Amino acid sequence: MRVYILRALWTALYAQNAAPINLPLHSMITYATIAMLMSLILEVDGTRLIREKIREGTIATDLMKPISVPLYFFSDGIGQTLLHALLVVPSLLCALLLVRIDVAPPATFAVFLLAFGVGYGVNFFLNFLMNCIAFWTLETFAAQLIVRWVSDLLSGQIIPLTLFPGIVGRIVFALPFAAIYSTPLLIYVGVIPPGQWAASIAAQVVWLLLFAALSSVVWRAASNRVVIQGG
Amino acid sequence: MLRAYAEYWRINLQTLLEYRANFVMWFVFTIVYHGVALGALYVTMRQFPSMNGWNFREVFFLYALWMAGHELHNTLFFTVVSVPDYVREGRFDRFLVRPLDTLFQVLTVPQQIVPDGLILAVATLGAATVAAGVRVDWVFVFFVPLVVCGGALIDLGISLAVATCAFWFIRVDTLRWVVMSLEQDFTRYPISIYTRGVRIVLTFVLPFAFMNYFPATYFLQKADTGLHLSPTVGLLTPAIGLAWVGAAYAFWLVGLRHYQGTGS
Repeated sequence: MRVYILRALWTALYAQNAAPINLPLHSMITYATIAMLMSLILEVDGTRLIREKIREGTIATDLMKPISVPLYFFSDGIGQTLLHALLVVPSLLCALLLVRIDVAPPATFAVFLLAFGVGYGVNFFLNFLMNCIAFWTLETFAAQLIVRWVSDLLSGQIIPLTLFPGIVGRIVFALPFAAIYSTPLLIYVGVIPPGQWAASIAAQVVWLLLFAALSSVVWRAASNRVVIQGG
Repeated sequence: MLRAYAEYWRINLQTLLEYRANFVMWFVFTIVYHGVALGALYVTMRQFPSMNGWNFREVFFLYALWMAGHELHNTLFFTVVSVPDYVREGRFDRFLVRPLDTLFQVLTVPQQIVPDGLILAVATLGAATVAAGVRVDWVFVFFVPLVVCGGALIDLGISLAVATCAFWFIRVDTLRWVVMSLEQDFTRYPISIYTRGVRIVLTFVLPFAFMNYFPATYFLQKADTGLHLSPTVGLLTPAIGLAWVGAAYAFWLVGLRHYQGTGS
């Protein structure tokens, strides 16, 4: 259904306006469709468990166990993601019935998958950080939804970041959110040419490392500050 | 019954004043939600200035009109969506043994309702009216509140119909989710961008188009290129809202007669 709406929307918009130079209609539909499929995977919050465990207090026993707790959350997140990845298959088939999407050449597709993987990591740490806020405030639901909505817009999930004008466009590309959706998608539709693949993925990796480092700092601070909510 | 309702709102608003921080948080929440939607629309329409003959300001008005009706519904009638939960948990039985009308009781379940969305929607509608350059004459002043109320009633009728299904199926989360996302997605743009079948559904089956599209075409003095109806049909929104609520209420009564309880 979403696919139908976005096809109708972009078709109507392209029918009456001059198309942007580097993004013809078929690329736009491809972009939007794949963004939607990606969101099925990326919107799974693999680290929600942290929040729940903090609320229920079971985080204390986890911290006592001789395991790396963040790693444990990561594995749990991967598991959930794989389950949802299976759900993408039927959605993909349905989408293909409604729209024609461009098939990228194998090399592009491989790079897309790589960028998607890095983007998944950035998204994971973003969620991780958001859930870690619960160590301090115990409840993060509202803050998390707000960050989710803003990141949907600034990561290029709703609309390609290339549509943002001038200076605003440069800013949104410089933000870490762009690493989540925008980079893999622009590689797929060919807006990022092969010559710049390495540079864009490097930028993603920088964000990934930065977020990972931040996460480990926050995690260490948080584990020293476990407050158990009564009950 | 009206006195009881006024008292209910008095208490509700007093609770609200007790929890100011919570109120502010919800306000931010609502602003971000609508801000993201409108921001995406704005950025897109900078590149593509015309959406089937609608410019950004007009689509903004379209959005604001929907938002006003929808938020009015959320403020006054939101408890209807909890009916399936009451049914499942057996709490619904309480309503049945009390002397007041069951639907009235559902609408007055004590809970914190924050009218943040409604306040914001009224402000947005004002801004959109100015931005879109809508002529504010007596027809506008008289009909816009009616259209907003009609929109809220259409929403209520549809959510009541969905809730009533719970008397048979107990769990209707999926159905509710589908109808809700249908509404959110299909009210955002002029219906003329969809194929004919979808336009007919949005007009005659689930009349979301009457929440904003038809009234907006009337107030903006545009031609309806979707179904080639006269734009004046936009003024029928209140009547359609009443009809929908009436039909949904009749369905609700049928559902009540069928209600057996879940044994929990």
